Amino acid sequence: MLQIDTISKAFAGTPAVREVSFTVERGELVCLLGPSGCGKSTLLRVISGLTDADSGSIRIEGADMTRAAANRRPTAMVFQSHALWSHMTVAQNVGFGLRVRGLPKAEIAEKVGAVLDLVGLSAYGKRLPAELSGGQAQRVALARCLVVEPKVLLMDEPFSALDAHLRKSLREELKSLQRRLDLTTIFVTHDQEEAMELADRIVVMQAGRLEQFAAPGSLYRNPQTLGVAQFIGAMNTCTTTVSLGQANWYGQPLRLALPDGEAALLCRPEDLYTDPRGARARVTRVIDLGPVTKVSLMTADGDLLTWTCPREAAPDVDAEITLMPRRLHAFRDGALLAQIERPEPALLEGVPA
Amino acid sequence: MIRFATKSGGHTPGQQQRTGPGQEALAGLALVALPVALLLTLTLWPTVTMVVSTFLVDGQVNASRYVYFFSDAYSLANLRYTMEQGLVSALSALAISFGIALYLRFSAGRIATMIHALSLFPLFVPSIIISYALVRFLGPNGLFQLLLEQVGFTHYRTPYLTPVGPFLAFVWEALPLPVLVLSAGLTQVSDHAVEAARDLGAGPFRILWEVLLPQVRRSLLIAFALIFLGIIGAYTVPYMLGPAAPEMMGVFMQRTLGNLHDADAAQVQAVVLMVISSVVGGFYIATMLKSQGGER
Repeated sequence: MLQIDTISKAFAGTPAVREVSFTVERGELVCLLGPSGCGKSTLLRVISGLTDADSGSIRIEGADMTRAAANRRPTAMVFQSHALWSHMTVAQNVGFGLRVRGLPKAEIAEKVGAVLDLVGLSAYGKRLPAELSGGQAQRVALARCLVVEPKVLLMDEPFSALDAHLRKSLREELKSLQRRLDLTTIFVTHDQEEAMELADRIVVMQAGRLEQFAAPGSLYRNPQTLGVAQFIGAMNTCTTTVSLGQANWYGQPLRLALPDGEAALLCRPEDLYTDPRGARARVTRVIDLGPVTKVSLMTADGDLLTWTCPREAAPDVDAEITLMPRRLHAFRDGALLAQIERPEPALLEGVPA
Repeated sequence: MIRFATKSGGHTPGQQQRTGPGQEALAGLALVALPVALLLTLTLWPTVTMVVSTFLVDGQVNASRYVYFFSDAYSLANLRYTMEQGLVSALSALAISFGIALYLRFSAGRIATMIHALSLFPLFVPSIIISYALVRFLGPNGLFQLLLEQVGFTHYRTPYLTPVGPFLAFVWEALPLPVLVLSAGLTQVSDHAVEAARDLGAGPFRILWEVLLPQVRRSLLIAFALIFLGIIGAYTVPYMLGPAAPEMMGVFMQRTLGNLHDADAAQVQAVVLMVISSVVGGFYIATMLKSQGGER
């Protein structure tokens, strides 16, 4: 449906997007996720045609769109600032794309009515944008795009200016609408939760590069790069040296089937469990988050650890406990070395610190 | 316990400061009293007595002077010429300045800064200087004609002493104001508002017509009113560069008073021009009030 092939874009010599390639299937909702300045919005603008790519190609349903102007592409974009035209009513805003296409007035009115109904704003056609709330304005912006029946809907952090509660409800509305219309959608966000909730698949970007393209659960459980592992969800990161199949993990030697050398051992807070053979740490803080309890710890070497556990298993502050990882993600030079399930403590002495 | 200070807090009744609304209103009135008094005595009173005097002919109240003005072909030609010159020059200045403001809105860099500075330059040039400059540049045997002759073009007809002469000067003089007003109006239109239109398939003309122009409509009206009023009341430019006949109302009035010593006729011409200016001025004030009322 949408093929992005080795797209690169630089601004005044500074690369914003570097050789990004991925393919989006019809009806799929793909999130571009990454920290500010990672190039996700630039990539979206390149797809829309509002920014030209320096190299690479974009194909929509097989047709090469790389050099097509924005107004010739079968895409429509919802902006973060909704970008409604303040002098036009809601109905005129929504009908703009149809007027551009030269549709008869009666047909425009009919389509505008239908799409306003779809976004739950059928009674707001005669209002001006200034008379709408933030959520309503964003729905009008969405309706303005939906009415032209784009092949690909592009959304650039559309909900980031709204409050958390509204964001959540609009997210659900968008997801159900997108499913119902079978609309291929690219959604840019820096909010992990938003991406995990909305996306069929997520493109994680960092420093202009595509780090990983996978389903939300897969990104969380099987991060392929150190960047993704540290960006998606929380991780305890222990930098250590592997020697003769052993490595020091927060003061506790573990047996790890890894090649010798430097390695970063990452472990999710919920993948820790208490074990008398584990690394020793002192509880510094216990926070009851409701469904789980978050325990902050400090090892003898001053390293900080986070453990999430059921409330009944939570220790007291200042208690000394020993923890073992249930699963470790080992990275070297930013790339995944191995994922180790239930590592065992090393029995031999002489493991490098 | 936290105590919140009140206006009278800390003062005994005898020490209370008097900051009542009545006193504030008096202070405000005192501030505007001098300009209002000057306006009444130096502008409004002479205007009223002058308007009244135009209706007094040999001790009788009648409108014969106006009847003469509106039946005199030459007076009417001058009035028509003044309005045409004002309309054409003001609209042209608006169109050119809108183009400049559009360019400045969507461009950055040294050339844009230079064009911005150049467009504001006429602010600092008095009418008499631009008039002489245009005479020397565009007039007979002026620099422009000499340059054209250098490249073999010998059929140059100078705009000096034709309506084109004052037109050029008026447009050039009028540019800074609409450029400033329209640039400010266009910065209110976000990049995303323009991009959203492009993204939905609109070409440049439709974006201009449906997105940009409506957003600066009021700025355009205000700028038009100000330029038009300036032009129809102008004297120096049409006197220096304009045709001998018909002549613009400013020149016509001065000649009627100075050369023909017919103060009564000059006053009638002034009242006619003033009524037209008041209509445009009223429209300007209405537009201003509307925009201050919260709408853009």
